[in-house]
Amino acid sequence: MIKFQNVSLIYPTAERTILDNLNFEIGEGEFVLLIGETGIGKSSVLKLLNGLVPHHTGGILAGNVEVAGFSTRNVRPGELAELIGIVGQNPINGFVSDVVEDELAFSMESLNLPEEVMRKRIEEILDLLSLHSIRDRKIATLSGGEQQRVAIGAAMVLHPKILVLDEPTSALDPVAAEEVLAILQRLVHDLGITIIIAEHRLERVIGYVDTVIEIGKDGATRIGKPEEILKDSKIAPPIVKLARALKLPKIALSVRDLRKETEEIRTNGRDISFETRLTGSPLITTEKLNVKYGSKLALSPIDLKINSGEVVALMGRNGAGKSSLIKALLGIIEFEGEVNKFAKRNGYIPQDANDLLYHQNVAAECEQTDSDNNLTKGTTFALLQQLAPSISLNSHPRDLSEGQRLALVLAIVLSPNPDILILDEPTRGLDYQSKALLINQLTARAKSGSAVLIATHDVELVAELASRIIILADGELVADGPAIDVLLASPAFAPQVTKVMSPRKWLTVSDVLRANE
Amino acid sequence: MHPVTWWLWAALVATALVRLQNNWLTLGLLIGVSFLVYKYKSEGPWSSSYNWALKLILFVITFRVLIGVIIGVPVPGHTIFSLPQIPLPKWMAGITLGGPVTWERVSSTIIESLNIASVIALFGAATALTNPRALLRSIPPLFYEVGMVLVIATNLTPQLVANAKRIRVAQEVRGIQRSRFLSWRQIAMPLLEDSLARALDLAAAMDSRGYGLKRSRSRYRPHRFQIKDGLIVVSAIALLVASL
Repeated sequence: MIKFQNVSLIYPTAERTILDNLNFEIGEGEFVLLIGETGIGKSSVLKLLNGLVPHHTGGILAGNVEVAGFSTRNVRPGELAELIGIVGQNPINGFVSDVVEDELAFSMESLNLPEEVMRKRIEEILDLLSLHSIRDRKIATLSGGEQQRVAIGAAMVLHPKILVLDEPTSALDPVAAEEVLAILQRLVHDLGITIIIAEHRLERVIGYVDTVIEIGKDGATRIGKPEEILKDSKIAPPIVKLARALKLPKIALSVRDLRKETEEIRTNGRDISFETRLTGSPLITTEKLNVKYGSKLALSPIDLKINSGEVVALMGRNGAGKSSLIKALLGIIEFEGEVNKFAKRNGYIPQDANDLLYHQNVAAECEQTDSDNNLTKGTTFALLQQLAPSISLNSHPRDLSEGQRLALVLAIVLSPNPDILILDEPTRGLDYQSKALLINQLTARAKSGSAVLIATHDVELVAELASRIIILADGELVADGPAIDVLLASPAFAPQVTKVMSPRKWLTVSDVLRANE
Repeated sequence: MHPVTWWLWAALVATALVRLQNNWLTLGLLIGVSFLVYKYKSEGPWSSSYNWALKLILFVITFRVLIGVIIGVPVPGHTIFSLPQIPLPKWMAGITLGGPVTWERVSSTIIESLNIASVIALFGAATALTNPRALLRSIPPLFYEVGMVLVIATNLTPQLVANAKRIRVAQEVRGIQRSRFLSWRQIAMPLLEDSLARALDLAAAMDSRGYGLKRSRSRYRPHRFQIKDGLIVVSAIALLVASL
């Protein structure tokens, strides 16, 4: 179905090649996962599939990409629309209409399909993707998971043979992610569609895929069954890391399989005590804090206390009120009730880290931070070099890789030594390596007496990082307690290691190792 | 309802009213239209456009009366009050600045303004009763590209405003130690970069979905002209014919 032969890609202004001599073949009806570090060119591979690269982006393509007999070099992306559906990283950016039904019709209108066909196919898609109840809704008012489903639907109306998705679950909460993945699996199994996705959160997708393609740094590409590739790949989900750490003869990809292998470990392990971080004086307290948008209550009255030395994870579905709480704590939206802050400085990392950056190069950003905060010249850059040694002073912030950009933003926010650090879903698009950087930095801040509040969907990150978890649902506080208790109590929020090791109270790979020393 | 119906109706009725110059009919229609909008306006931000039309009408009438009272041709009749008259050169004979303000002069300017008011009200009503996106969708295929650009622009503008707000807030928190007033560049640069990135994403998505591949496009659930639409337009035509 898809054939990459000696494919290399370079952009004229870039210093390095994006892709180097890629070779692989994908058969019909396969569910393929593309893995590799950030910036390795996964998105480019996906865009090569329907010719967006190089027709749309420019760049020099060597070798041949063949899709169902067409060489993408010779056809425009639109001509492949009935063969390949593509869903971008931010589906909201690709929407043309304001109402769900019109959005679904758009590509069929472009291809001049008769009205009866459109009516039939739209009903079909509404059923297939369970979009029935939201057919008349405005797209802007939908949740992330619903938007993702609409984008998939809009691509599926042309009955493509191949569906391509770039990070389909990275912005979704665990439950919405499950829904989207279940739909993708149904498309593969029932309709025989070939699906190719790129995703950093392997723990979410690995159970669904048949084939993994790993793109390495030096152009080394491997393709194979998930078990083969993940046996020794650099990138691996916690479940695989656990199997590797326990030196099991073979790795398992599902919780069930690994539970079979680890019965002995579960029974023999000791109970471990969780290091209780010394939590000091309160840095933020709220009394009856609530937020209203018009007449709608976005956040019901909440009494909250965040102490120094804590890492608090704020979890809950999209639209549960996480952002409202964060914004109220920062004092950037109107709220009722009281927020008392006993901190000298706040640090804030927004959802889109780019919002903070406005200079033309890294050096200017660092200088700006120094002068904004009356720091000695070079403080911010010194911190940045600790976080990302290879970063170049002259690069434009937009050209940095996700990991480097995170390092830059961390340096900007951390160099004035904030007592409270607030992060709003910072892990979108981050690979395991960048997440490790984030975990190290935040843990170090907490140890030195700051408080960290992080809103995230990433349960694996929370398991490694958080000492306390707050869960919001529909604007109400439904759980607030030590990380271990909250994570164990809810199956949706339990990290993989905990699921494998249940009922033992171990959260991470290192916990398991500690218990079995 | 076909999105063009109310616009067609507004244009026809406005022409008829201007031709007829019947104050009572105009006043009656203004009240009728207000009731129509109050009862049948569609959901959405455009539905408040009739309120804006009313405000505009009020402004126009006040302004015209004010100007009509101060400058203009004196109309004899019952004097309400007198303004000090400023003498004008001889060649401007017939026009006065200030002077006695008569009841007849005020009422005639108000009645003259009624025609303008009715035109504004009718088109304000058409805007309030029709979803502008539906209107754009039903423009003739010849102008499809223009319509498409407008539809996308109307979708993106609220996003742009939201983004600008978001960026300003993020940067306020970053630089809060120094000043709350940020230069335009600090907002404009990320906003511009963000918008360009979005525009590229949108173009790529439209390209992959076959936009512009075929010369002609089909329409999903086009608005059909129904009997109801026909009746409304025919009644307006009847009024116009009667006015001739």
